[in-house]
Amino acid sequence: MIGYVPGHSPLHRAHPYTTLALAGALLLGAFALTRPIEVWTLVAAAAVFAASGGALRASARPALLLSLPIWALLFVLHGLLGADPRMVVGPLSLSVAGVGRALVLGGRVTAIVLGFLTALATVSPHRLVEAMTAGGVPFGRTFLLASTLTILPRMRERAAQILEAQQCRGLRIGGSVVARLRALGPLALPLVLGALAEVDEQVLALDARGAGGAARRTALDPPADSASQRMLRGSLLLVVVAAYAWKFWRMRG
Amino acid sequence: MTLRDLVLVRLGVAVNLVIGQIVAALLLPVYLDSVGTILVASLVGPRAAIVAGLTSQVLNAVLSGNFSWLPFAIVQVVIALYAAAAARLGLFRRLATAVPAGVGMGFVAASCSAPISYFLFGGVTAGGVTVVTTVLRALGAPLGVAVAAASYSTDLLDKAIACALVSLLLRSLPRTLAARFPALAR
Amino acid sequence: MTALVMLEGVTFTYPGAVQPALADVSLALSAGEVLVATGESGAGCSTLLLVATGFAPRVVGGRLRGNRRIAAERCGIVFARPWTQLTGLCSSVRDEIAFGPASRGLPGDVVLAAAERAMAELHIAHLAEREPSQLSGGELQRVVVAAALALDPEVLALDDPAAELDPEAADTLYDALPAIAAAGTAIVIATPDLERASRVATRAVVLEGGRIVATGRPAEVLGGTEAARIARAAGCPPPVPLDVPALLRRVQR
Repeated sequence: MIGYVPGHSPLHRAHPYTTLALAGALLLGAFALTRPIEVWTLVAAAAVFAASGGALRASARPALLLSLPIWALLFVLHGLLGADPRMVVGPLSLSVAGVGRALVLGGRVTAIVLGFLTALATVSPHRLVEAMTAGGVPFGRTFLLASTLTILPRMRERAAQILEAQQCRGLRIGGSVVARLRALGPLALPLVLGALAEVDEQVLALDARGAGGAARRTALDPPADSASQRMLRGSLLLVVVAAYAWKFWRMRG
Repeated sequence: MTLRDLVLVRLGVAVNLVIGQIVAALLLPVYLDSVGTILVASLVGPRAAIVAGLTSQVLNAVLSGNFSWLPFAIVQVVIALYAAAAARLGLFRRLATAVPAGVGMGFVAASCSAPISYFLFGGVTAGGVTVVTTVLRALGAPLGVAVAAASYSTDLLDKAIACALVSLLLRSLPRTLAARFPALAR
Repeated sequence: MTALVMLEGVTFTYPGAVQPALADVSLALSAGEVLVATGESGAGCSTLLLVATGFAPRVVGGRLRGNRRIAAERCGIVFARPWTQLTGLCSSVRDEIAFGPASRGLPGDVVLAAAERAMAELHIAHLAEREPSQLSGGELQRVVVAAALALDPEVLALDDPAAELDPEAADTLYDALPAIAAAGTAIVIATPDLERASRVATRAVVLEGGRIVATGRPAEVLGGTEAARIARAAGCPPPVPLDVPALLRRVQR
């Protein structure tokens, strides 16, 4: 559902920075636009973005599922409980301004989520790491982003094992709030202390292989970049800045 | 940052992302997604803690698919700085000082997140807090007040428990392991 | 033959510890030899590895006294748990093994050649495209050893490398060691697994309380160890054949 899906679309072939720049522009642009028509044009742009990555179906469903609770809460908080004047739609009395606000806020979230799910679906983690290495991104940043995701499954597994083991030893995870709070210690402590005890070994293993050394790490398979992609990324930045300039000019005027 | 700092930051981020699993199993009404950040602040220092907080925010978005919460990254920075200061003052050494420190942290965190939630998201963010906001609004409170009240009440509880847990963790470190963290001795 | 590592009267104490982990240890390590360090848990074998390769006190902290001279330019180290030694950055075995040379900024073709060589030495070329997370413990440990070898270390330290492996995987790992030593690498292994270690060792030391209490050829030294005593008392064949009839029986099996 969420995650990389191999493919051959233009987005798959593009440099990872380009795809991420497009998603980032959607994110920043969403907060710059304040009228429903503008925001929903952006949503349409996000859909085009997703389609160009062959990921429209892959990202539309999770995007919808993620946005649904937000739409529901927006509807209640702003539509039903919003300020007057009101309009009557069927059996419900909705706030006019509230509905407008809900459309903007909901549209924002939808555009952003659609944009980034597309990026997730079309940027392979491996290519991103290679792009970052080739681009001279310091080892630390690449390491934190990529390596953490790799160790998560094992840590989750360990957390589940600790839960089982402690329950076998008689730990009760139900009952009053205080009792459940007390159970937090026996479940969290072994997990964190166990992880801390491994730190020395991990540091030694990384150090022995020259990680974080002074030399710039060789990228073995750097993704191809092009002048036109670089220009596209640059112009996206200009578009976003222009959008915010327009927003603030409108707010003053 | 040294290699050791990086590995510790990674540990902190992993803890931030995984502890929600434990919290869910216990059906507690909190997130505790800053425990790792606070731990790194105590073991290493403010800069490492900020990196841990920001990385957690990004990876959380990557894992959940919801990137609209990225503007809340500034709150992670605030939490990291507060935690480092509290650790420096030795507030995590005892539960009696850790819990009030957590309450203070919750207050500061909510003071940052409530405006972001209100102005950028109209008060609608993650499930739990927004439900509280909606209930308060339905009871007649203005939106701004509802958002603030929901943010403060959830954050105060969340950070108080988080700081208590970190205090417990630090006190449970075996002596030889604790000796490897000069920041603890201060 | 000049020694790659020379320790004279070395005492090492971990940070925060009261007792030294190594006390007055003198040892020389030469190219091509396979040294086994054994003793009870906590006797200092792992520490000896860290001190001999220069990782202590540089990476783990602590205080070192005495004379230490490490003529080796590059040292590799492998620990018991394969998982904690992965970088987490690499999506293929080849990339993981190539990480060391790549971190030193060597050109791409040199890096890949080093990786191919290391994979060949450990007979894991067939795993090159696989994802590390999908490998068994035994395969992963061989990847880790290959990753250490890719940097062409002059000294390779192995801390109980087969501890988490099943017997077959452990045998495969140990069987690969003589060829590595024959190529000129000095290997030092800390392990309680006397049976396997004695098959590959050219020299053995026994540690007790941080001090070397016995040193010499494996047959002489390891026969006097606790494991051998227990084996004799139980009427089992000792881990190392101690006389010609025992050796003949072992060979005829």
